[in-house]
Amino acid sequence: MLKTAFLTLFSLAIAIVGGGGSVWYALKVQDGVGAIRIGQWTAFPDIGTPSADPYSKARVAREGVLALGRAEGLSFVAERDAAGAELKRECTYTIEGGFPTARFWTLYAADQSLSVVETGKSRLAALQSYGVVRQADNSVIISAGHHPMPGNWLLTDGFGRMYFVLTFYDTPIASSTGLSDVSLPHIVKVGCDA
Amino acid sequence: MRSFYAAMRGLLHAVLLGLLGAGIVHIAVLLLVPEFSERDAWSRLSMASDLYKMTRLDAEAGGAPVVKSVDPLFYATACRFDLGEGMVRVKAPGHVPFWSVSVYDRSGHNIYSFNDHTATGGVLDAVVLTPAQMIDVRKDLPEDLQRAIFVEAPMEEGIFVIRAFVPDSSWKPIVSHFFEQSSCELQDF
Repeated sequence: MLKTAFLTLFSLAIAIVGGGGSVWYALKVQDGVGAIRIGQWTAFPDIGTPSADPYSKARVAREGVLALGRAEGLSFVAERDAAGAELKRECTYTIEGGFPTARFWTLYAADQSLSVVETGKSRLAALQSYGVVRQADNSVIISAGHHPMPGNWLLTDGFGRMYFVLTFYDTPIASSTGLSDVSLPHIVKVGCDA
Repeated sequence: MRSFYAAMRGLLHAVLLGLLGAGIVHIAVLLLVPEFSERDAWSRLSMASDLYKMTRLDAEAGGAPVVKSVDPLFYATACRFDLGEGMVRVKAPGHVPFWSVSVYDRSGHNIYSFNDHTATGGVLDAVVLTPAQMIDVRKDLPEDLQRAIFVEAPMEEGIFVIRAFVPDSSWKPIVSHFFEQSSCELQDF
């Protein structure tokens, strides 16, 4: 009798802890269902639409996101550099390459909750396409780090994990057919402050 | 020895049953999260302000941002509406480098979006209404609604969000002024 009760409780414990925990984990990881990966960049084009999968819907409800609409833009998040290492706020990176067609884009350094990194200075940890210097072939080289750098400098600050958020506004790539042959800039680590 | 095997079989049975149950709980919890979330955008906004009241979403207006992960180079403002009370009209006179609008339903799904290239002369003037209200309006379109963008949304409660681009800090007062002039009101018809 006691054995049956124990086994029943054991099953219930596995069911509740396993079920609840797996949902929590699935919503926590950045790279979820419905993600589109281009190089190091991840986007969720369907997030916030009625046709989104249940995981995206749960994430929207839990985090209070108001996702960008198709006519507004599309956000990409990078959490790793080209070598596969996690992005660190104490490191310097070069973001280099061509950008897909859009009216304009913004790039910012973000913390774990994807809000902009606090720099403690009047300069934001953000850049936008109207304010960058371009190469002869229209590509852009951006240096991200603590110390001022020539060219396009994205100021970062602090220690710990970092994300880059690249958002294209009023862009044809936001429609799903446009996403197939998009190439995004590479993120290469230059070095780290000890 | 036989009783040991029996106990092991019982345990294995319990573990398998537990994993099956975990799958069921996973699906149930996943589908119930949107129903019971008290942290979704609507709930956050309703804590900050009333219906038909424009509320800044970015942290610039003071205090923590109401809705998370707004682009730092953007300002955003939102108002909640209830189409059950009538159609809602949103206007924002003035010009900024870029603005875009999204209409969300109660659970935060993006129903419709457009930007300043869609609007006549780049001026934001939009009406959100249900298909039934649209039929009424079509019969006799009032003069002052002729240039408005009509957004047909088959829902009652919703959120209207305006986002505007702030290229650098010299644009901050202009964009803030653009939002201060914006209105979100119940349109009599």
